[in-house]
Amino acid sequence: MPKDNHTYKIHFLPEDKLVDIEEGITVLEAAHKAEVYISSICGGVATCGKCKVVVEEGRVDSPYTPLLAPEEVAKGYVLACQTKALSDLLISVPPETRLEEGQILVTTEAKEARPGMVGGLVPGLEYSHDPLVKKLYIELAPPTMEDSLADYERLRLAIMLREGIKLECLVAELGVLKAMPRLLRESHWRLTATLADWAGTREILGLEPGDTAKNLWGVAVDVGTTTVVAQLLDMASARVIDTEASYNSQMKWGEDYIQRIIYATERPTSGGLDEMQRTIVNDINELISALTLRNGLRPEEIMALCCSGNTAMMHFLLGLDPTLIRKEPYIPTANSIPPLRARELGIDINKKAPLYCLPSVAAYVGGDITGGATAIGLDQQEALCLFIDIGTNGEVVLGNKDWMVCCSASAGPSFEGSGVRHGMRAAPGAIERLKITEDFQLSYKVIGNRNPRGICGSGLLDSISALLCSGAINKSGKFVRGTTPRVRESEEGLEFLLVEGPKSATGGDIVITQADISNLIRSKAAIYAAISTLLEAMHMKATDIQRVYLAGGFGSYLDIHNTITIGMLPEMPPERIHFVGNSSLAGSRLSLLSREAFSNVKEIASKMTYFDLMANPHFMEEFISANFLPHTNPDEFPTVYQELSRGVKAMD
Amino acid sequence: MEIPNIVERWSGEVTEVTLGATKEEGGTRKKIIKLGGANCIPYIDFEGCPGHRPVIAMDVLDIVPEEWPEVLLEPFKEVVSSPREWAKKCVEEYGADLICLKLDSVHPDKGNKSAEEAVKTVQSVLQAVEVPLIIWGCDDPRRDNEVMPRVSQAATGERCLLASATQDNYKTLAALCLADGHNLVTQAPVDVNIQKQVNILVTDTGFPVDRIVMFQTTGALGYGIEYVYSIQERERLAALSGDKWLALPILCNVGYESWRAKEAKARDEEAPGWGLARERGPLWETITAVTLLQSGADILRMLHPKAVKAVKKQIEALYTNNA
Repeated sequence: MPKDNHTYKIHFLPEDKLVDIEEGITVLEAAHKAEVYISSICGGVATCGKCKVVVEEGRVDSPYTPLLAPEEVAKGYVLACQTKALSDLLISVPPETRLEEGQILVTTEAKEARPGMVGGLVPGLEYSHDPLVKKLYIELAPPTMEDSLADYERLRLAIMLREGIKLECLVAELGVLKAMPRLLRESHWRLTATLADWAGTREILGLEPGDTAKNLWGVAVDVGTTTVVAQLLDMASARVIDTEASYNSQMKWGEDYIQRIIYATERPTSGGLDEMQRTIVNDINELISALTLRNGLRPEEIMALCCSGNTAMMHFLLGLDPTLIRKEPYIPTANSIPPLRARELGIDINKKAPLYCLPSVAAYVGGDITGGATAIGLDQQEALCLFIDIGTNGEVVLGNKDWMVCCSASAGPSFEGSGVRHGMRAAPGAIERLKITEDFQLSYKVIGNRNPRGICGSGLLDSISALLCSGAINKSGKFVRGTTPRVRESEEGLEFLLVEGPKSATGGDIVITQADISNLIRSKAAIYAAISTLLEAMHMKATDIQRVYLAGGFGSYLDIHNTITIGMLPEMPPERIHFVGNSSLAGSRLSLLSREAFSNVKEIASKMTYFDLMANPHFMEEFISANFLPHTNPDEFPTVYQELSRGVKAMD
Repeated sequence: MEIPNIVERWSGEVTEVTLGATKEEGGTRKKIIKLGGANCIPYIDFEGCPGHRPVIAMDVLDIVPEEWPEVLLEPFKEVVSSPREWAKKCVEEYGADLICLKLDSVHPDKGNKSAEEAVKTVQSVLQAVEVPLIIWGCDDPRRDNEVMPRVSQAATGERCLLASATQDNYKTLAALCLADGHNLVTQAPVDVNIQKQVNILVTDTGFPVDRIVMFQTTGALGYGIEYVYSIQERERLAALSGDKWLALPILCNVGYESWRAKEAKARDEEAPGWGLARERGPLWETITAVTLLQSGADILRMLHPKAVKAVKKQIEALYTNNA
């Protein structure tokens, strides 16, 4: 048979994007090529069923999958990752598969600080306002026959006196020296120097005539597995000017980073890692571009960038090989990254501007945690604190000013809205709070006050708690038939109707399924098991914990009480628990604005003791024990058990 | 020099569960069985009270067993088609403390018999013997949920032990046992946490905790016995430490599991050099039973009369030979 390579045109709606593909390419791959976002958790191996699209016109080769309901198949639904074109195609991407544009909620409420200080996320926590990149207005005495110091030495001496640093710690590039004599004289010896902290030395990045010390901008970024958040900072006044967030476009290669590492390492020749790096750099560039445009700045005016993220994300950002992170004994290329020129990575800001990365502790505890710990001042607390950052991985830190231990549990992305039928991130249209009354009436609050499109982390947490308290699920998280008509049969077993079609934004019912609940319970069990394992390792009890700081992308609100009811956190007085929002971003911002905070982050990274849960025999035991609502040991949740038993017949 | 007293005292005690009801109690049993009561590690009886003696329940099937090796079938060959006679023989001739009636015939693959027939079988066995009864479903959740309500009702007041409630299917059985005055077996897949979870779920339906017997799907000698052993040992230690959700008697399915082992069932010609099948099979069952006794088993479901005899002797020795 002669080789006959067809190419087909694929037309994606509603984005109206066209792409030519060769025969044998899947619709999902075509969408990547066309830069059309299609939700996919499993990375294209037909296990998640998220990449549903509708074939409007054309012929396809699409094998049978139990992930599609018969009525969906009748409407032309296929899984994009399993479907290949046999002709030109018109594909429409339904709302549930699309990534809706829109602001992702950002919560990083910095506390008020005194003048000359910048505030952390807890009251009274301050770091001195001393940015990693700063501007100094300098007035120099012109040289005379008696004072014949060279130009550079004259400038260095002035900086040395102002900053209290040693002369040999000050460096500059050739270009700065070349431009200096003329600039000094034309500016009449009144000029502004931009100075960057460069791992122990300071570099003169540039000189400007006159006083421009007030014009200095930097960007702090939280490079999350799911969400990337960038914040524009006025470095001179330590003010947050604006914040912008977007989804991490790497999601198309899998929603957890292990999937992405596999993708990158399985394609060494076709540049899987480069692709991954370009994608995240592109996301950051777009955020910076949006921030600068909206605030009347040019990207070249951004003089500093600071990024925090988990170890794998930092590897992707820098283009470092992440392969060994997922293989025993789990060794990252680097935990502490020296400052780099952001331009080297293709980040589109001033060509001299440095990029600072917050240091990691280990392969599974990254700069988002060391930064977060700095933002809550964990290392300054007398009291025993627990710091938890709930994301795709749930990282847990236990400690105070004297010691810190940490670990990371694979919690899964369900509290970020992934792996849940109608889950979504905390964006407009997401149900963020939910209550169920005794007669199974629902009340809920939707972000942006509109018809709901799905449900985000805080809403899901409320749902589990409400379903448990109402008796619609038992302590195993299994639906109880006959409690309410809202518990109903579906193709995949029982489900609970949250919002009827006419009241939703998509027109379809919003439900929570048995599988969703199992995923959420597994997530909370992983967090609780990580906490128990750390406590056990330190021979401590939950009652010893005096403060809990809970961080994560749940949204702007989190019902603390429900975190205990479902057994995600140990039972304790709720006033001990504080929701701090995005602490990774706060860590990044504080570092950029305060060299003191940045060195604090580095110190925390070197102080934290890492516990590997994978090698820990107790973890699995604790996990199974926590895989129950609230927990298998009633002694650990006496109050919750008491509250729940009120709805249960008394034991005789 | 005085030797210090190092006797360990425990705070917890295994809950006492009663099987069978006499006429005065609303049943027709002449013999009742009490389980539990231990407040020390099994057979470390100088530290406390070892509780009630373990008992042996002999299995009676309501179908003619097809896959049993000859050695196992031989002692029952005249009675295998009559559960009534079979049960009688187990009690009168082989000394069974109680009978475990296994309702295999209602299973869709094993005859799919009706609930009426199961009820008749249960009634005939109840009439034939005076010992308490374990009534074990066919382990097909759908059929069990249809048949067990009828069976349970037919045995109302007899304080039988009904089996088995799992994490995914416990409501019907728990409700029946509550309504008809029976005890309940809760089952877990060799996992102490899940065992506890099932017990909590069952009591959440209002079922009293002192009518539960726990069952960790048994593994025979050479087939995971060490896992089951350590799980049961942990349950007992938890019980003694005051965990009321695990302070319950333990049941082991020794006979069925032992005779699945090829070492037990292989014929002489299949395994020359392994010893004679008529010794080997019962020995396999005996060793499995005696091992699990040490972990704190309270009810042993057994099959071969020779093994039953040997294990009874062992129990007797454990409880008398303290010199």
